[in-house]
Amino acid sequence: MSDVSGAVGLAMTGLTKVFGDKIALSDVSIEIDPGTFLVLLGPSGSGKTTLLRCLAGIERPTSGQIVIGSQVVAGPRVFVEPERRGLAMVFQDYALWPHLSVRKNITFPLLRSALTTSDRDARVNDLLERVGISALADRFPNQLSGGEQQRVALARALAGHAGLILFDEPLSNLDADRREQLRIEIATLTRATGATVVYITHDQSEAFALSDRVGVLNQGRLVQFNTPEVIYRQPANAFVARFTGVAGEFRVESLRPCGENRYEVALPFAPDLRIEAVATEDLGTPREVSLFVRAAGVSLCGADDVGGARGVVVDVAFNGRGYEHVVSVGEGASLSKVFATTRYDRLSPVKVHFDPASCLVMESKGI
Amino acid sequence: MSFVHVTAGAASNPGFVLYSAQGYDSAMVKAFNATHPGFTVTLNDNSTGPLLQQIQAEGSNPKWGALWVDGAAAFAELDKKGMLVKNSVPSVSFNALGSANVPTDKSFTPTGLTVVGALCYDSSQVSAGQVPSTWAQLTETQYQGLGMNDPSQSGPTFPLIAGVMTYLAKYKSGSPAHAVKVGEDYFKSLYQNALVVNATNGVTLGAMASQQISMAIIQSSACYGDILNGSFPTLKVKYLNFSVALPSVIGIDAKQPPIVRKDAKKFVAWVMSRAGQHAMQLGDPQGDSLFWPVIQGEKPSNAIIPSLASTHAITINPYVWGPLESRINTWFDDTIVNG
Amino acid sequence: MIVETAPLAPPRDGRRRPHASGLAIGAVLTLLIVAPVVSFLLLAVSPRMFQQGPQWFTLRFISGAFSGNTDRGIINSLWVSTLVAVLAVSLATTLAWLIHRTNILGRRVWAVGMWVLLLVPSWMMTLGWTDLLQPFGAANAVGLNTRWLYGEFFGPMGIVIVLTTVALPFAYFIISAGLQGLGPEYEDAARIHGATRWLTLRTVLPMIAPALLSALAISFAETMSDFGVAFTLGYHSHFPLATYTLFAAIDNYPANFSIAAVIATVLILSTVPPIALQSRVMRSRTYAQLSGRTQAPRRREFRPRIRILATAAVAAVFFVALGVPVLGAVVGSFVRNLGTYSPTGVHFTWLYYSQIFHPSISGKSIGAPLLLSNQLGLVVATGTGVLAVVLARRLVATRGGWSQRVTDVFLLGSVAVPGVVLGVGYIFFYNLSFITRDVINIYKTLPLLMLALVASALPGQTRFMAGPVSQIQPSLNEAARVHGAGRFAAWRAASLPLMSRILLWGWLLTFTKTISELAIAQILYPPSQEPASVTIQAYLANFNPGTGTAMTVLTLAEMLGVIVIALGLYRAVTPRGWQRVGWSGVQT
Repeated sequence: MSDVSGAVGLAMTGLTKVFGDKIALSDVSIEIDPGTFLVLLGPSGSGKTTLLRCLAGIERPTSGQIVIGSQVVAGPRVFVEPERRGLAMVFQDYALWPHLSVRKNITFPLLRSALTTSDRDARVNDLLERVGISALADRFPNQLSGGEQQRVALARALAGHAGLILFDEPLSNLDADRREQLRIEIATLTRATGATVVYITHDQSEAFALSDRVGVLNQGRLVQFNTPEVIYRQPANAFVARFTGVAGEFRVESLRPCGENRYEVALPFAPDLRIEAVATEDLGTPREVSLFVRAAGVSLCGADDVGGARGVVVDVAFNGRGYEHVVSVGEGASLSKVFATTRYDRLSPVKVHFDPASCLVMESKGI
Repeated sequence: MSFVHVTAGAASNPGFVLYSAQGYDSAMVKAFNATHPGFTVTLNDNSTGPLLQQIQAEGSNPKWGALWVDGAAAFAELDKKGMLVKNSVPSVSFNALGSANVPTDKSFTPTGLTVVGALCYDSSQVSAGQVPSTWAQLTETQYQGLGMNDPSQSGPTFPLIAGVMTYLAKYKSGSPAHAVKVGEDYFKSLYQNALVVNATNGVTLGAMASQQISMAIIQSSACYGDILNGSFPTLKVKYLNFSVALPSVIGIDAKQPPIVRKDAKKFVAWVMSRAGQHAMQLGDPQGDSLFWPVIQGEKPSNAIIPSLASTHAITINPYVWGPLESRINTWFDDTIVNG
Repeated sequence: MIVETAPLAPPRDGRRRPHASGLAIGAVLTLLIVAPVVSFLLLAVSPRMFQQGPQWFTLRFISGAFSGNTDRGIINSLWVSTLVAVLAVSLATTLAWLIHRTNILGRRVWAVGMWVLLLVPSWMMTLGWTDLLQPFGAANAVGLNTRWLYGEFFGPMGIVIVLTTVALPFAYFIISAGLQGLGPEYEDAARIHGATRWLTLRTVLPMIAPALLSALAISFAETMSDFGVAFTLGYHSHFPLATYTLFAAIDNYPANFSIAAVIATVLILSTVPPIALQSRVMRSRTYAQLSGRTQAPRRREFRPRIRILATAAVAAVFFVALGVPVLGAVVGSFVRNLGTYSPTGVHFTWLYYSQIFHPSISGKSIGAPLLLSNQLGLVVATGTGVLAVVLARRLVATRGGWSQRVTDVFLLGSVAVPGVVLGVGYIFFYNLSFITRDVINIYKTLPLLMLALVASALPGQTRFMAGPVSQIQPSLNEAARVHGAGRFAAWRAASLPLMSRILLWGWLLTFTKTISELAIAQILYPPSQEPASVTIQAYLANFNPGTGTAMTVLTLAEMLGVIVIALGLYRAVTPRGWQRVGWSGVQT
């Protein structure tokens, strides 16, 4: 079913990279099975690009070890050059060689293979077909649009049947509609080959849509590594919670336990309201604690409704399936991306209900 | 492309390198090497300026075996620094001017003479009767607009200036300060008489040919050369009450090993021999070969060259005037050329 | 080429290269440039260092250099170079804008013309002007009276004009590369927000400030170190320039190397302010990357009448800068006894051309010297090309920081070193006893001459290549590596095609510079191996200016012929894809 020469597992242990006095990566350890689609998620400066480049061999780690398959490619006394790691990579700026036609760009990884010319041509034609760019085979990169160029880059990455494919924010330079389209193609085509994938992005929805495993990076450290579901529902700390999308974040006035990993919290803007929230860590010792609310856990209803917190609609936007609202619930406190199928106009008073499953309470400063 | 390595202490005779600016040098070296097996003379031909720069920059690790250029001032300097082999003059019978140009320690040999301070004029612009006869007359208004070369660009011109200083102040020995003053005053009066200074012989002759000037005091061989090669047919040469002998001089590097110095001596001896002198006269027939021999009984190569006596040539002492060259050239540049 | 754009990727680590290659480059630069030049400069305060005087340390030469003629020379050089730099950059910017951003006619021709202007050495230019304007010169031969111009020309005005035309192509290439990286969106933004055309230009032009400053700096440095014009026009017009006074200081015997060293130091140090200014304005901005995705700029469409006028203006500039001196030399070479009054009128003749290979007087034929010069050009251009690529990549890779600035200063300072200083410095250093005895004995050999010529060409060619090299996306090379190509194979597949044209033009530039280079050739050529430039100079100065001019024209024609052949070969031999991409000197 898979036409990969051999999907490979990947193990990084204690990976560290220092540039002068800047620590780009700090003691990152990740291990994944062959065929896994790993997404590294984090803001810019989090070290994800550095990590990818270390995997590719374009950057040399300061310390730590990288094992691809059964080969140690980077370690205390080992460094395997990029061309001998058996990888493929799709770059953010496509990196298509402008002097080579589309066909020749895709053929490049096969030039050093044992394939005969006719086999090579057959594979390239097959890829052109799969990626949907057969008509562009003899064009040059500067004659293609951004989306077309990225398709060519994808085909090139798939050509060599590499066991590990790296993606460096491949969608960030594309416009919105193409992004969606190409994301689906990347997902389907790479999974069809069965190769192991390491994909970096700063876009949380992209990460969740594509991945089997997500590694969240912040300031060079691996903050959380798990399935997308766990990361979403049980973020390790406030940073992960924020980065994976919160509708609102509020300082907690007081809290009291009310079940296993459950707390009842009081908020400054709604002193009478008690909201139940899930805790992913022990909050016994006193410290500054905040409530993080996922958009999915907030519902809107009219001002006359029973219960809930009072609020005022600040902004409303139609998104095709319904309406997203921004609701102000108190002094400097608001909720965004609040979905409702009916429209509440701007400045109309509303009530906001919180679903405990989507409310998280944790230390405010956790990173 | 061939590489030359001068390696000392080679089993066979390595020969020596001749630094020369003379027009006949390649013919001479070829002739010598053809008739003198045993060692090879390698010719490093260049203009005088770069040759002397090379020698000076080479310092105490010299590559030159012998130097052959016009003018003795550089040799006086080298001799003072102990860089020349003394008693290297071959025994030949020099004529009067020849002897006058042999230094007391015999550290360098005059091989021929040209004259600077020859008055060359364009006969299509001025007639023979309109040409002055003495240097004093050159300061008169009727002889305005005389041309001459810039001593900082034209090697033969500083000896001319030194000769003027020597003659006008009747300098014999001792401090030349007075002579320098007399000479400076003289050139200042020439300057006030619309003196035109150009870089070298070639450029001055060009200025005459394009009628910017009608007469100039330059080197004899340049004038005869232009007449003979047909580029300036109306050019004529006259000698005033004195002119300055400019010897072509050859000297041997004292820092070379004995075998090299011996080879160089052989070469110098050949240059001064009859065969050598004739080769000199044939080597550059419209240029440097237009010299007066320094050896008794020998005649110039071309009938166009008059007798040496008619040039009223005097000799300057290079040991006295050599050290002053830089100072006087700078004075000339500042006061006369850029004044 | 040095244009501020948003970074496409996080900063690369310039220090990831192994230290050994940095040391190797440092060693090469030391042996080629630093050691010989410093050997010479040390004499400014320590003549005894190389047996040029008794003092181990003295300041008297410094005070000596700042007096009299030499002082005047320094001051003249400083203000002339500044003026020339400003003029050259202004003219170059105007020309670059007209050629790249408007629809004037014959754009290809002008772009090529700029190349020819770059390749013709300054002494050939002044020869052409002199031949043309002198009494009974070439202009006179075709019936034009230029006597009134002659006096004006041989003065500061003529010097500034000729030096500006010499500096013009340097400035032009830097600025046009900068312009090409300037997308139309910035002009659009200005126009949409209400700016007039003039205001738009003024708003957008500072965006190429780095290119403008770089052009100013290099025009300044090239002008400070120019010898050809200083020696001919400067001397004739009694307007001393620093390079001339330097030459005069060493042309006597004994030469005053110490004064010359002081002057040379001033020349080199004078390039520090332009670099400092450039650094300050650019601050941490460095050579930025442009990907192949930059849009082609739009052209301003002139109305037909304006179009003709603008084209005529550009043509006039080229005519004065290039056409006039070349015509002057070419016509002059056919006039019998150029510069001589002839009672029978002007005669045109083939005489001098017939003499260049078979001189009638005992001067030398140009045959062997020209062949030698071509061989030298071949070797030197290839060697310099390789080194320049390595240096340029290094210059571009180390972003910002002091090491890049030091390299920048070093390269620009080296441009300001006059050839004669480098040449004599080579004698000082490579003729040291311990070097000739124990290390290598190459003084007075062709290899040494070649090294010196490489040293002379390297700084200029490195700066020339740095811009285009910096425009190559690193990810192209990385993509090749990741997809299976080794270091060299990746360079060959990804970088070489994009660099091929700049390599070719850089090679041609050094090839022609080597053939026409005079000062170094004169002081270092080995016995009996005289390069063409020395032969020509001997004819021009001593033997026969007519033959010398004919030799010059022949050499120029030969250089241009080599260029045409090289370009043709490139077209024939390289894959079609290579010719579509990368930097093109004649892209319009």
